[in-house]
Amino acid sequence: MQGFPGPLPDLAQLQSTMVAIERACSLIQMHMNPAEAEKIINPLRQSSMPYQTCRFILENSEVPNARFQAAGAIGDAAIREWGMLTNENRKSLILFCLHYVMEHASAADAYVQLKVSAVAAQLVKRGWFDFIEAEKIGILIEVKQAILGFQGSDMQSAGISFLESLVSEFSPGTSTGMGLPKDYHEQCHSSMELNYLKEFYCWAKSAALNVADKIVSCYANISEEKVCSRALRFMFQVLNWNFKSSPSALDNSSSKSNSGSFGIRPDMGLLKKFERSLLEPGPLWHDALLSSGHMLWLLNFYAIVRQKHSSDMLWFDSPLAVSARQLIVQLCSLTGTIFPSDDGEMHIKHLTQILSAVIEWVEPPNIISGALRSGRSESEMIDGFHALLSMATLTSTMLFDNLLRSLRPFGTIHLLATLTCEVVQTYVIKNDDEQTWSSEALDIMLEIWTVILGRSGNDMKISAEGISSASNLFSTIVESHLKAAAESAFEDDSEADYFHVSVSRRDETLYAYALIARAAVETTVPFLTRLFSERFALLSQNNERMDPTQTLEELYWLLLITGHVLTDSGEGETVLVPEAIQDGFSGVTEELQHPVIVLSWSIISFAKQSLDPKMRNAYFSPRLMEAVIWFLARWVDTYLMPIDAAKGQLGISGHDEGLQQHPQSSKKVLLSFAGQHSQGETILDTIIRISMTTLTSYPGENELQALTCWKLLVVLVRRRHVCIHLVALESWRDLARAFANERTLFSLNARLQRSLAETLVCAASSFKDLETSNQYVRDLMGPMTAYLVDISSRNDLKAVAQQADAIYMVSCLLERLRGASRATQPRTQKSIFEMGCAVMNSLLTLLELYKNQSAVVYLILKFVVDFVEGEVAFLSAKETSILVNFCLQLLRIYSSHNIGKISLSLSTSLQSEAQTEKYKDLRALLQLLTNICSKDLVDFSSFSNDAESTDIAEVIYVGLHIVTPLISLELLKYPKLSCDYFALISHLLEVYPEKVAQLNKEAFDHIVRTLDFGVCHQDVDIVDKCLRAVNALASYHYKEKIAGKEGLGAKALSSEESNGEFQQSILSYFLRLLIQLLLYQDFRMELAGSAADALFPLVLCEQDLYQRLVQEILEKQSNPAIKTRLASAFYALTSTNQLSSSLDRNNRFRFRKNLQVFLIEVSGFMRII
Amino acid sequence: MSDEEHHFDSKADAGASKTYPQQAGTIRKNGYIVIKGRACKVVEVSTSKTGKHGHAKCHFVGIDIFNNKKLEDIVPSSHNCDVPHVTRTDYQLIDISEDGFLSLLTENGNTKDDLKLPTDETLLAQIKDGFAEGKDLVVTVMSAMGEEQICALKDIGPK
Repeated sequence: MQGFPGPLPDLAQLQSTMVAIERACSLIQMHMNPAEAEKIINPLRQSSMPYQTCRFILENSEVPNARFQAAGAIGDAAIREWGMLTNENRKSLILFCLHYVMEHASAADAYVQLKVSAVAAQLVKRGWFDFIEAEKIGILIEVKQAILGFQGSDMQSAGISFLESLVSEFSPGTSTGMGLPKDYHEQCHSSMELNYLKEFYCWAKSAALNVADKIVSCYANISEEKVCSRALRFMFQVLNWNFKSSPSALDNSSSKSNSGSFGIRPDMGLLKKFERSLLEPGPLWHDALLSSGHMLWLLNFYAIVRQKHSSDMLWFDSPLAVSARQLIVQLCSLTGTIFPSDDGEMHIKHLTQILSAVIEWVEPPNIISGALRSGRSESEMIDGFHALLSMATLTSTMLFDNLLRSLRPFGTIHLLATLTCEVVQTYVIKNDDEQTWSSEALDIMLEIWTVILGRSGNDMKISAEGISSASNLFSTIVESHLKAAAESAFEDDSEADYFHVSVSRRDETLYAYALIARAAVETTVPFLTRLFSERFALLSQNNERMDPTQTLEELYWLLLITGHVLTDSGEGETVLVPEAIQDGFSGVTEELQHPVIVLSWSIISFAKQSLDPKMRNAYFSPRLMEAVIWFLARWVDTYLMPIDAAKGQLGISGHDEGLQQHPQSSKKVLLSFAGQHSQGETILDTIIRISMTTLTSYPGENELQALTCWKLLVVLVRRRHVCIHLVALESWRDLARAFANERTLFSLNARLQRSLAETLVCAASSFKDLETSNQYVRDLMGPMTAYLVDISSRNDLKAVAQQADAIYMVSCLLERLRGASRATQPRTQKSIFEMGCAVMNSLLTLLELYKNQSAVVYLILKFVVDFVEGEVAFLSAKETSILVNFCLQLLRIYSSHNIGKISLSLSTSLQSEAQTEKYKDLRALLQLLTNICSKDLVDFSSFSNDAESTDIAEVIYVGLHIVTPLISLELLKYPKLSCDYFALISHLLEVYPEKVAQLNKEAFDHIVRTLDFGVCHQDVDIVDKCLRAVNALASYHYKEKIAGKEGLGAKALSSEESNGEFQQSILSYFLRLLIQLLLYQDFRMELAGSAADALFPLVLCEQDLYQRLVQEILEKQSNPAIKTRLASAFYALTSTNQLSSSLDRNNRFRFRKNLQVFLIEVSGFMRII
Repeated sequence: MSDEEHHFDSKADAGASKTYPQQAGTIRKNGYIVIKGRACKVVEVSTSKTGKHGHAKCHFVGIDIFNNKKLEDIVPSSHNCDVPHVTRTDYQLIDISEDGFLSLLTENGNTKDDLKLPTDETLLAQIKDGFAEGKDLVVTVMSAMGEEQICALKDIGPK
């Protein structure tokens, strides 16, 4: 072949290479000695100009794996050596691959052909901007002819498969790396989209059309059917393209203003859940997709073929059926400027057209699900649901409902409700393992409901028919779930772990159910009240005669669903009463008639029953109580003294007064019944007493107590105006008293005690008077500090301290202190600092005493970390020095206990536990240093006296001196630790480089060693941080030198080591290392920027060495072509772009650009063996 | 201190404070627990319920701190568990005798000669090598429920 690159070795040599590769491949296949095999194959991939050999193998080898490897080697080598190949070479390589694929279109081992095809696609992309247009067309014309079917159906398939590779190579998500900047891929992407994509689509379309007739009339053979399904699959692939040039994507405002008028709405990203996207190809595609009758043809084609195979249950999963349906579903999400601006007329027509076909896939629901039960594949129905989801996403709720009305006497929402009923009923039974489709189907169904009901305003208006469908659907949902709950009540809760994983999934499902309920609040809320009261009454009448378990489980489920219907999950945001509930019930003016209030009261009075010990023991199982607490937490957040109670009244009376008279009054009633001036306080009191009960009367029920502490109590103190009422309540004071002075709460899990302390201290901020706030904290925490001081000053401390109960007590106290300091606020900062100061000495004693109890040590460290974090910004100079001295003492003691210590254990798991403990300790220490560091950045202290102020940088370096020897390279393998460590180091070196010069040699060496380790790390983030640190070091040194100062001084100079070994200066060491990395290793382009920033000052500092290094590298290069290339690349690196020798921003920027050019120029071929 | 008095001390120690009761629900990972009469370090805690509406129970996985065997136990979380009294004491290493016993220096100047070298080759090597190099070594001896074992080693010699 003309222009085929590479020297032609003699036949014997080719033969022997081929045999060697074949042997290696068969070794791999038999899983024997893969390392050995790789040693044989890798040289082929990495050698210079291996093309002739590869070609020989491809054409002659009988071993498919060997051919596969040869194809891969062509790709690797050509991408690497691209710059050294002539245009002729490149083209002939591509054509060779293409011809190979075509000629072997019908051969076995299709994966080899696929690989060759992929290689051809890679090379086409690599040369996309090197070839002129005519050359590209020359290559592609052959593909086109093959696809259009002039040379038989095998060639057609081969051509389509090449296009598949090409398109996936040009999509950024699936492209292969070529060592080029990201920009290149972007340019290829848009060039492909503008110039070729549509044409490819049309080729595939004609290929499909060609064979479709035959398929319809049943004359087609297997390979023709294959062509059709492949063509459809490729069309689907094209329509999955991420279209960029479509103007509508940019111009959102115009489409938004349209949406109100006719109901088409672009909803970006909503389809993401199922990994699908909206399709916005822009107006250029109009003829290809819309005006040519393409859609109609496709739908008819599918319908006819489906008709023919109606008795064949397997047909639904055949490639042809699947790809045709995929294409239809994808076309359903077509949107944007491809439709003319005709008030959505064409778009609506398009959707109706698809719906008329898709409805056959899902209707009638009971017949379909019956067919599925008897073994038919569910794939068609699922695809139908996906199509509905796309439609729901693209239309307003009203329009979505109306789409079906031209075809059926009812709206789409009615159909959706019937379908969902069917799916839910199948889903809750679940006992049949084969009905797994129901869970997937339910997911999609609920997503559709979430889409159409989760909107606000005009986009979500529902017809009366829709509302009644939703109401019926909700009844079915609740009844089926209650039935399932009752049936599962006696099952063992052995899947506790599984339960945790699925909580968020369950919440998602319940949220969708709740949206359905809210669409018909007028009926669904009273419905829930009725169900709840029935079960409550059942318990009250029960008199312990029969087992209440089933009812308990039903109540459990009802509490969950009611919670979701009445409230939204806050996730830290301010929670409002859901809109549908605020605006519903327009006729209600009396508080006691408002269905939501009735429902709320019935649940609260149910919960109140748990205060009665007899009722509690008989009915309030831990699980039921968990639901009660969870419900109360959400309810309190939404309805108790709502912040918009006052605002709501004003807001509505402000505008359109007359129209909203009724809604206003019902809303007012709803928002004020648990308000500050109403029954809010009573309810609050009840809730605190219920919380106390769960904390004291359910010993060991961690789950329940965690919910109480982490969910319910936290919510109570979140809003200040609630807090004001809270701290005035006797029940709250009881809780605080019990916490401070009694032993009962020590039986809680220590972590919960921490959270309890945090909550209690948080409430302090609600006192009007600063002193009262602080006094409240003192009263609360005083007993804790006194206790700790008391323990640590006991005479028999040594004997007592190691006892398990003493350890437990100390741990609890430390957790409580930690909780309190996490709640530090400006108002309570003073008393918390006193608390910390009071125990400082005790903590040091305890640290000494418990040096072998890692759990206690960790708690002490964590307390100090949180304490410093909360306090440091507020402290005066004197207080700072107290704190800092304490921290340094702490560090010293910790270090003296742990340095050089090796733990010995036979058990690997205990050994790794010990290692993990150490890692956690060190992480805490680093956090401590980082927190102290922040004093320099954020400082709120009112006045500072220079004489007393502490030099934070100094402190950090002393701290680092103490901590770094403990950090071994072994420990840096823990990702979080190394991340923290390098973040701290790079921060310090950037902010206080002058302090580095003052470190002693050992500490400095340690830092440098870890940087060295970090630069070669896998994690991009860490490498980046290390490069920043190196940059900081070198820049500092260079700037100081220029200013005539010492800089890093002796540390930057070469020195003779005592053992006579020549030690490089650290800057030259890093210079070598970086150049090594850039040239010879797989350098990641995303680091190019920070690498340039680090390299530039290094080069400036070590000019001579740099020149020497460049010479060395050039001399090592034997190939003269590469040598000249390299030399000019090095020259360009430092001499182009008006680079000068100052370290200002412009210069750095220029160097960044130069380095990028340099890397593109030389990367790849330097790695050839 | 007479031999007799010493004897009495250790006896009282063994009897009274071998273990302490603690509520199962408050025992956390990395704590200690007695399972089947052995002192264990807790490496895993999970909770479940006896029946959906029953009470919580804790499932502990522990590793015997002396023989490294894995042990498991299920306890209702409101019940008490035994928590072993685990102490670690530092001694300076004075000598390693031929018959495999260590000679250790206690805090009050006495020697303790009843601790055997570990049998495991690698641990043995770590101790012996360090001692042979003439380093000043401190060994940490972990004891619980009447058993003792070396658990850590530290070089305190001048750098």
